[in-house]
Amino acid sequence: MKKPARLTFLIAMVLAIFVFLLAETVVVKIKMTSIRRDPKFTSPIVAAIKAGDTLEKLEARDGWVKVKTKAGVVGWLHATAVETKKFDLLAMDKTMKTQASSSEVALAAKGFNKQVEDKYRAGNAAANFTAVDAMEKVKPTAAEVEAFMKAGRLGEFGGTR
Amino acid sequence: MTIRAKALASIAIAVSLSLSGCQAVKQGAADLIASTGKVSHEDAQALVRTAEVLRSTFGDITEEEEYYIGRATAALILAKYKPSRNAAVNAYVNTMGTALSYYSDRPEVYAGYHFLVLDTDEVNAMAAPGGFIFVTKGLVKRCGDEETLAAILGHEIGHVAARHGLQSIKKSRLIDAFKVIGGEASRKFDSEELTKITGIFEGVLGDVVETLVERGYDRKFEYEADKLGLTFAVRTGYAPGGLAEFLVGMEEHKPSGPAAGWFKTHPSPADRLARVKTETAALGAAPIKLDVRTARFAEAVKNLR
Repeated sequence: MKKPARLTFLIAMVLAIFVFLLAETVVVKIKMTSIRRDPKFTSPIVAAIKAGDTLEKLEARDGWVKVKTKAGVVGWLHATAVETKKFDLLAMDKTMKTQASSSEVALAAKGFNKQVEDKYRAGNAAANFTAVDAMEKVKPTAAEVEAFMKAGRLGEFGGTR
Repeated sequence: MTIRAKALASIAIAVSLSLSGCQAVKQGAADLIASTGKVSHEDAQALVRTAEVLRSTFGDITEEEEYYIGRATAALILAKYKPSRNAAVNAYVNTMGTALSYYSDRPEVYAGYHFLVLDTDEVNAMAAPGGFIFVTKGLVKRCGDEETLAAILGHEIGHVAARHGLQSIKKSRLIDAFKVIGGEASRKFDSEELTKITGIFEGVLGDVVETLVERGYDRKFEYEADKLGLTFAVRTGYAPGGLAEFLVGMEEHKPSGPAAGWFKTHPSPADRLARVKTETAALGAAPIKLDVRTARFAEAVKNLR
């Protein structure tokens, strides 16, 4: 019983080393968001990031990913803010053009974008984009949300079960 | 070398071979295309690449595209309903909604969640793709406490998290759109493409707005949003009774004539109530309702007329 267990462990180690060597990269898909010190939204912000930024993924836990920015800042962000770059061995061959993953191409490609919205607005005066712009401007700060949760004994400030 | 060391060595070799195999296969495909002499080596690489980027379903819509679909959907909803000018209630709904989004399955959307109270006595709530969430003044006044409003906002966040709005877009329309958009990494459409894609965009908006405002979602999406909303609200720390309380109230105010508004776009309250009760019972230990929240809800909505 002991030997197969050790063999399984060693195989797992070998695989872990391979996974480690193929360091994973994630791409930010949110317009603007923050990297936080700890894996929770009430944690202090350590860096600001934007759509298209690439980050090195260090660890994943409970829906959060630990990442390292190009500037070397390490912190956490929610997994829904990033897309895992599909690993492409072809891209490792430096003699060839680096291949973009499908997600990156999609992010950089034409799509339903500002240009389409402008054209649509020009032909649909009734659509009230001014009100949408005003709606987008109302955004509580992280401190306001935290104070709201604290006062209402919500989230990590709760515990009344 | 022991047997174990030999086994390990062969596993390591097999793993590295299988990994480099991917490269060989792709390279082989590109080489094969290039060897026909019809296309350059670089174009052959591009062909292999393009084959990997084809998009076909709602799941392939990017966060940014969802945001633009959501903005225009919101613009059409705001052509029909006026926003409430009560800044205090809008701030309250936004802060609560943001807290709930933290505990949802999708806390991050392209430009964040935004909540707005609509100035109408009609009782309704709607979620446009990308996180634009609307609740009517009539609905807020129908809620007796923060737990109830949290349940409604949680339900709407559930629609966004599960991308229900995008699933109302006709599949053929998406295929047309992706064909025009293509896989080339350029952000600008030429004028012919722009006319075509804007036409498709209008169709997309038609599908989404008709579902949100007129027809309602498929029942299974409403039940799913109920379940997600309940989960998100309880995770945030709210007592789970909010939605049940709201549905009981709606059942009591059921119109005798033909269904309109909320009653038309949602399954019957009694039907939902039965499911919500089962799901609530399955939760086990859950947070309890607190007076401090009920009091601040009353304070926030007191000037809502």
